[in-house]
Amino acid sequence: MEVHNVQSFQELILRLQTFWAERGCVVQQPYDLEVGAGTMHPDTFLRVLGPEPWNVAYVQPSRRPADARYGENPFRLGKHYQLQVVLKPSPKDVQAVYIDSLRALGVDLEVHDLRFEEDNWEAPTLGAWGVGWQVMLDGMEITQFTYFQQAGGIELEPISAEITYGLERITMFLGLSRSVYDIDWVPGGVSYGLVRHQDEVEFSKYYFEVADVEFLKIQFDGHEAEAGRCLEAGLVLPAYECTLKCSHLFNVMDARGAVSVTERVALIKRVRTLAVACAREYVVSREKLGFPLLPEGEASLPGDKGESDGRD
Amino acid sequence: MAGTEFLLEVRCEEIPARMLQPAIREMATRLFEDLMALNVAPAEMETGFTPRRLILMLKGLPTRESDRDEEMIGPPVRAAFDGEGRPTRAAEGFARKCGVEIDALRRVETDKGEYLAATRKVVGRPVSEVLAQLIPRIVEGLSWAKTMRWGVGEGPWVRPIHGVVALCDGEVVPCRVFDVEASDETLGHPVLSPRPFAIRSVSDYRRKMARRQIIMRFEDRRERLQDQLGEAAESLGGELVADPELLDRLTAICEIPGSVVGRFEPAFLSLPREVLITSLRDHQSAFTLESGGMLLPNFITVMDRPDDPEGRVQAGNEWVVAARLEDARFFFNEDRKTSLEQRRETLDHLTFHAKLGSYADKTDRIAELAKEICESMGWREEVEEAVAASNLLKVDLTSEMVKEFTSLQGIVGGLYAEREEYPVAVWQAIYDQYLPASTDDTIPRGRVGQATALADRIDTLVGMFGLGLIPSGSRDPFGLRRAGQGVVRIVLEGDLPLDLDLIAAKSVLLFGDLLERSGQEVLSDLRLFLQDRVRHLLSLRGYAYDTIEAALAAGSSNLPDLLARVDAVHRVREEPEFLSVVLAAKRISNILREASDEDFEEARLKEPAEQDLHKKAEALRNDIDRAETRGDYEQCLRDIAKLSEPLDRFFVEVLVMDENRQLRNNRIALLQAIQRMVSRTARLTEVVVDKAEHRDRGESTSPS
Repeated sequence: MEVHNVQSFQELILRLQTFWAERGCVVQQPYDLEVGAGTMHPDTFLRVLGPEPWNVAYVQPSRRPADARYGENPFRLGKHYQLQVVLKPSPKDVQAVYIDSLRALGVDLEVHDLRFEEDNWEAPTLGAWGVGWQVMLDGMEITQFTYFQQAGGIELEPISAEITYGLERITMFLGLSRSVYDIDWVPGGVSYGLVRHQDEVEFSKYYFEVADVEFLKIQFDGHEAEAGRCLEAGLVLPAYECTLKCSHLFNVMDARGAVSVTERVALIKRVRTLAVACAREYVVSREKLGFPLLPEGEASLPGDKGESDGRD
Repeated sequence: MAGTEFLLEVRCEEIPARMLQPAIREMATRLFEDLMALNVAPAEMETGFTPRRLILMLKGLPTRESDRDEEMIGPPVRAAFDGEGRPTRAAEGFARKCGVEIDALRRVETDKGEYLAATRKVVGRPVSEVLAQLIPRIVEGLSWAKTMRWGVGEGPWVRPIHGVVALCDGEVVPCRVFDVEASDETLGHPVLSPRPFAIRSVSDYRRKMARRQIIMRFEDRRERLQDQLGEAAESLGGELVADPELLDRLTAICEIPGSVVGRFEPAFLSLPREVLITSLRDHQSAFTLESGGMLLPNFITVMDRPDDPEGRVQAGNEWVVAARLEDARFFFNEDRKTSLEQRRETLDHLTFHAKLGSYADKTDRIAELAKEICESMGWREEVEEAVAASNLLKVDLTSEMVKEFTSLQGIVGGLYAEREEYPVAVWQAIYDQYLPASTDDTIPRGRVGQATALADRIDTLVGMFGLGLIPSGSRDPFGLRRAGQGVVRIVLEGDLPLDLDLIAAKSVLLFGDLLERSGQEVLSDLRLFLQDRVRHLLSLRGYAYDTIEAALAAGSSNLPDLLARVDAVHRVREEPEFLSVVLAAKRISNILREASDEDFEEARLKEPAEQDLHKKAEALRNDIDRAETRGDYEQCLRDIAKLSEPLDRFFVEVLVMDENRQLRNNRIALLQAIQRMVSRTARLTEVVVDKAEHRDRGESTSPS
């Protein structure tokens, strides 16, 4: 099988989406809120809970205010793009399928060094952790591979496999580019820099110099209260959105240097409390709906048909 | 070799490097022990592992368990035969179960009455059947530092299991590990030789793995890598910066060991050596090279494949290394924009502990305490530098470099201070402050470094103890044991005759009202805690525990002095006169246990033996005092040993518990004086003479 090497950012996205679509994934779109990682998209964080099978792939722009560098650092970005895949339950051959996805990008594994190095994942603000690896290609971390064990403080069963591709890194690496801003967004056309540089510069300035801490705090308090009201009204998805808002606001305050060590612990705890409550309520809400994604006749059993669920 | 052979390969997704060695060791030990318990131990056992497989190869197994007789107890006799003496169903059933005729059943008397009994011939199972039963339990039951579940909830194990090869003389041992059935089939390297293949025997397995270039023994892989790394270094005209830990780590991440050499821009060599080495080691698992003490602009790392046919692996690694070093240079340049002195302010906002204040507060306390240490050591010239070093000691905690490479804390501060042209003693004190971090480390160079390192650790210990945060069991979140170990080692190896009680007391004062416990409690807990570290350290040096206890009981505030006393006891403890005084001291201690302090009057000594003891003791008193003052504890103990003869005579000829109260009390007073005199170098009663004495010791005294 001769596949030509991915040359651009958008080609990488298209190839990966096609690859996973062909393997039965729902191709979802980015969540329309600021989030720190693809994991926070409700189609990962909430869908991994409970017994329903779920296979999804989507791009998620991910904001890390503290990593913003005014568009000056060739590797670090205040916003980067992840391609997130969740397979629930984790198929037996998930690692082999993942390796196939690299071949689909045109990576000739006959001449590269691929390794899986221990890297366990933990998100204290989500009450979530998992076990897995960082996948290293020729010494470069290109993917986070995680078996989710707990989310929102709830032990998971079935277990989901989460595959997170770092899209900028992979594109850079395949072309051995010296700067993220130099990579092609469009093959031989518009560069990543032309698409995103202004965004990085302005948001760096906003995160580090301009953001009004008092206003951020007011918003944090407001969204936190709103999450609580939504939960009382049995509206778990709106409550979760408010939680995501709080999480992002916290990240901005943190980048702004406005969070002391003790405040930090307290704020993380407040976000976590909300995330845990949302997780619990989500499972209840799905149960009320009769776990609609479970195959017929398995409404009360954990599903184990994930692999045959429309996959080739 | 005769006998049966067995091959076990558990194939799974990549096991974390750090967990492989312990896992294979546990698996081998448990299988061997279980087989031994069943009398079917193998003559030979070999182990192997790669990130994706755990391998056991057994040779010379008995083909089956030996047959054995088993004693069976059946129904009570009264239930075994009916009124006419005919066997009941119960009796028949029991005979059938034992495989014997009714007539062959015996009767045995038990506590509960008479019962039927029989000897059953148990035919030994084939060893493959034994293995089929043991393997799932052993493999599934391995203890991992962290486990996971997968799929619909399989596990828990370290990573998902994909295949189990269990072959006994070429036959599959039918068993199941989690949801995986044992078979004779495995896979090669997941990318280079991913097709399944069947195994017929251990030698077939070796052959087929070798054909796929998979080296299953850790030692063989490490040797192969070592050779490759050495050759590569030589061809570059340098040598590896030795790092056995890194080599072990790299050996555990590949099954086909290959190495790749890369270059980086020589301009990066302007970064401090420590930063380069750490960045390459921590981020890229790469070795650095040096020649004549200077680093070369090259690195070597390991890949899980034999070669790099198109240079892609090298190009990729070089690309990442360039990015990493670019980062390091960025951090370095950013950090250098702020002088250490300016950076001090940032410590105001860095919490040391919520209840003990910021690192700025800690810095102030360290400076005071370091000053106190210098003064009490008589190091007047060092006071100023010790204060200067203390002030900058923790400043690098807010540097970008330390945030990125926590293992470089202290070192980074030291390097920055060197570049800012602080005096050598000052930057070295900052650089060395976390020494010794492990048993192989040395202590900080020089007085300033020792004073500040001690002050820092004592401040931490007193602060945490003052909040009741004392390590217990395996819980030691603040690393206090290591801090304690550091204090003890610095004082002992630096030969610092420092009064630790006094320094700790000063530290308590420096905390003002921040501590939640009384100074008394803190100091006494800390003393016991440090004594434990001393015990540990001195026992590693080969001193007997009772030697250490004896010297400790006579005071542990000044550790070099303690060491001298331990050593003195160690040297004289086998000498008969000394042992005889030890026995006498134990006897005195028993006699004095209930006694209150009594007054002594020489005139009341009646018996010649007690007069003699008093006289000789008084004659020796000066010698003992002088030897002690000189710190010549061996001489001191030898002088004490001279009391053995008069003491023995005293106990033979004199009855201490005389009916006459005056005589009795006077003798008690004499013994009290003697006991005080002989117990200053070491509490002799702690020295164990034999087992009987050992028991006696346990009852009579315990370390204070």
